[in-house]
Amino acid sequence: MKAAIRSSTLARIFLVAGFGVALSAAPASAQKSGGSITVGLELDIPGFDPLKVGVFDTSAETAAAAIFDTLVGLDDNAKPVPKLALSWTHSDDFKTWTFKLRQGVKFHDGTPFNAEAFKANFDRQKDPANKCRCAFYIAGIKDVQAPDEYTVVYNLTDPSVNFPAILTIQSSNNVVQSPTAWKTKGDDYNRNPVGTGPYILKSWTAGDRMVLEKNPDYWNKGHPYLDRIVLKPLPDAQSRFASLQSGEADIVWDDEYDADNIQKAQKDPKMKVHTYAGSGAAVYAFNTKTPPFDDVGVRQALVMAIDRKKMSQAITNGLARPATNPYGDGSWVKCKDDGALPEDVEKAKALIKDYGKPVDFKMLVTATPRGRNVGQVLQQFWKRAGANMEIEQVDQATIVPRAFMRQFQLTPWRIVDLADPDPQMYANFHTGSPVALANYSNPELDKLLENARTSPDQAKRIEDYCAVSRLINKEAIWFWTFQNTYYAISASKLKGLPKIYHGVIDVSDTWLE
Amino acid sequence: MLFFVARRLLYLIPVLIAVSLLTFFIASLLPGDLAYVILGDQATPEKVAALRHDMGLDQPIWIRYFGWLWNILQGDFGRSFRTGQTVLQAVTERFPVSFELMILAEIVGLAIGVPLAIVCAARSGGAFDRFMTGSAFAMLSLPAFLSAILLIYFFAVELRWLPATGYVPFAEDPGANLRFMVLPALTLALAEWPGIMRVLRSDMIATLQEDYIALAKAKGLKASRILFVHALKPSSLTLVTITGINIGRLIGGTVIVETIFALPGIGRLLVGAIYTRDLIILQGVVLLVAAGFVLMNFIVDLLYAVLDPRIRHGHA
Repeated sequence: MKAAIRSSTLARIFLVAGFGVALSAAPASAQKSGGSITVGLELDIPGFDPLKVGVFDTSAETAAAAIFDTLVGLDDNAKPVPKLALSWTHSDDFKTWTFKLRQGVKFHDGTPFNAEAFKANFDRQKDPANKCRCAFYIAGIKDVQAPDEYTVVYNLTDPSVNFPAILTIQSSNNVVQSPTAWKTKGDDYNRNPVGTGPYILKSWTAGDRMVLEKNPDYWNKGHPYLDRIVLKPLPDAQSRFASLQSGEADIVWDDEYDADNIQKAQKDPKMKVHTYAGSGAAVYAFNTKTPPFDDVGVRQALVMAIDRKKMSQAITNGLARPATNPYGDGSWVKCKDDGALPEDVEKAKALIKDYGKPVDFKMLVTATPRGRNVGQVLQQFWKRAGANMEIEQVDQATIVPRAFMRQFQLTPWRIVDLADPDPQMYANFHTGSPVALANYSNPELDKLLENARTSPDQAKRIEDYCAVSRLINKEAIWFWTFQNTYYAISASKLKGLPKIYHGVIDVSDTWLE
Repeated sequence: MLFFVARRLLYLIPVLIAVSLLTFFIASLLPGDLAYVILGDQATPEKVAALRHDMGLDQPIWIRYFGWLWNILQGDFGRSFRTGQTVLQAVTERFPVSFELMILAEIVGLAIGVPLAIVCAARSGGAFDRFMTGSAFAMLSLPAFLSAILLIYFFAVELRWLPATGYVPFAEDPGANLRFMVLPALTLALAEWPGIMRVLRSDMIATLQEDYIALAKAKGLKASRILFVHALKPSSLTLVTITGINIGRLIGGTVIVETIFALPGIGRLLVGAIYTRDLIILQGVVLLVAAGFVLMNFIVDLLYAVLDPRIRHGHA
């Protein structure tokens, strides 16, 4: 039912920033207004009040994309475009970002959207007294100021050269909620969200359906197209796909572990498979402070022993795309040389032999069919190389604390699709970060990460990030198996779905043909 | 009779206390400290300690247990830390779905099982009897997750007669509600009827050998009247037990069936609570479900007494 380590849960760890949706200028005259669609999501949505739910998972983000707006959107070329903010400027040191807001926008309850409302959202999350889990992701933002009614100023603790792109994902931090609504509704606000978005929440039955209706006063005239969107959690992959086949759903969430159905849909003219080759990857971290992983040779040997092609075939019918660096094809970081170690089992055997002692260790995997599957395949590869891995099955909720307390030898993790590599790369590899899971410290690596986050020159940043990749691959403190690919399957009459940035199926600007 | 009911009710108290103990301690045994789960990536030791203190997790387990029990006795089952919903809200919202599902499954199971049992018992050892006993055994071994997918494939994807997933409340549209309920109820019933049939069949065969049946036959009563009027009631004691116990199995079955058919019932609520470590919801719901099950068995006990007067007079 759940992926080995998938965005839905672990993404929160990294959800420092993210992607949003384009209000892209779609080809003219094709769009038709009216109609209703049903979206089959994977998970139940617990609610929308950041103080209650902390962070949104991708199912909640799909709903949030329709109910709320963000300041900035992301077009199909991953360029930030205006949404609630019309324009933005930055200081020379990239630590202060000023956004000019759209005027005349109102929340669904009539409250005017302005700088004060925006600041109230931020302050509520930042206030230590509220103990919001969402506060972690805005730790790098010192404060938000509202110098006049339509100007918002972000003051950051560290430079961020690509800051607007980071505000685009429909996360609990970025979507703008009506201050009047949460003040008056109290505990009930969580399940009665109010935003400025293209759709208004009409009704919501827990565990069943959320009905959204077109916002007739939406600021983006002519949008949205559909009259109604129904969101349903359909937790079982087989019956989710059957619901699409039988017409109960018009678009469903999917992932590559459901390869059979994806490949079936690719051959079906009545269906369309939407894929997005995102940035990031499924990754694994060695705890370099515990033997045998304090030895770089052992780490390298294990990485070289992995045959990603074969593994992809075994677990996803070959759909999963092998990864040789943490950025992936979806990232603007493209490396001529990412320093990936060769897949070479003979060399791996030799390295293990050189170590001189038996290589026995435990690896954490999630107690799901997928987690076990991945674990067993890796176990076989490593056995061939002469290493003995024991699978330790724990559930997803346990992996996070185990990782934080460094109670593991080898743990799965994930680098999710974000508009900029900085938030996750810095968190995962800079000395002293709580998620620098490898327990590895290297001044050269720190320096590269610091340069990459402060340099405005993209070419220079790419160079730094490629050097980071070479260093990590050489030291083999983490390794990557597969790039992130996000899937949705729809009826072919559904048009206008933007890229599935960050795994969020944003149906808020789609139409029916 | 009143005395009998009162005594049975008294028996419930220790059972419910045992249930509450088990529920609480099993939930506490789940791996993954709640404070770490809630804090996620901000789980610094200081924050964990502070939150554990706030939630009372730093207190000894038996103090937490009595605190929990004391609140429950006052009608406060607690509140989910994720959704802010109280346990009672969540259960009242979800219960009607599961309850309807179980009732329908039981009805369908009985509707298939009872007539088949009677027919088989009437001609026990015959070709039809042997065929049905064989098929019952085969159906008994078919897991719900498989029969559910097969039913969806056949009735929803191929024939398009019934929806694959979804739910409409009965109060909103009874017809649509039943359409959505057919496949889930049938899935559960497919696992229920074989047990019902086999038990009733063998009891019935025994009853049919009793003297009073021979007498009825000798009097020239019609075979159908003998079977349905004279033989069915005395043969149904075990059936009542099975039906009662089945409620427990059905509660288990709803977890799978509600997930596959995307029904917003108690089973889904429980699975979600386990995944998200929503212990307050988990403990509260398990306790309520267990209490419901215990009550159900209590009612079954009473039914015995109605069916067989010897039991209520304490001679059985």
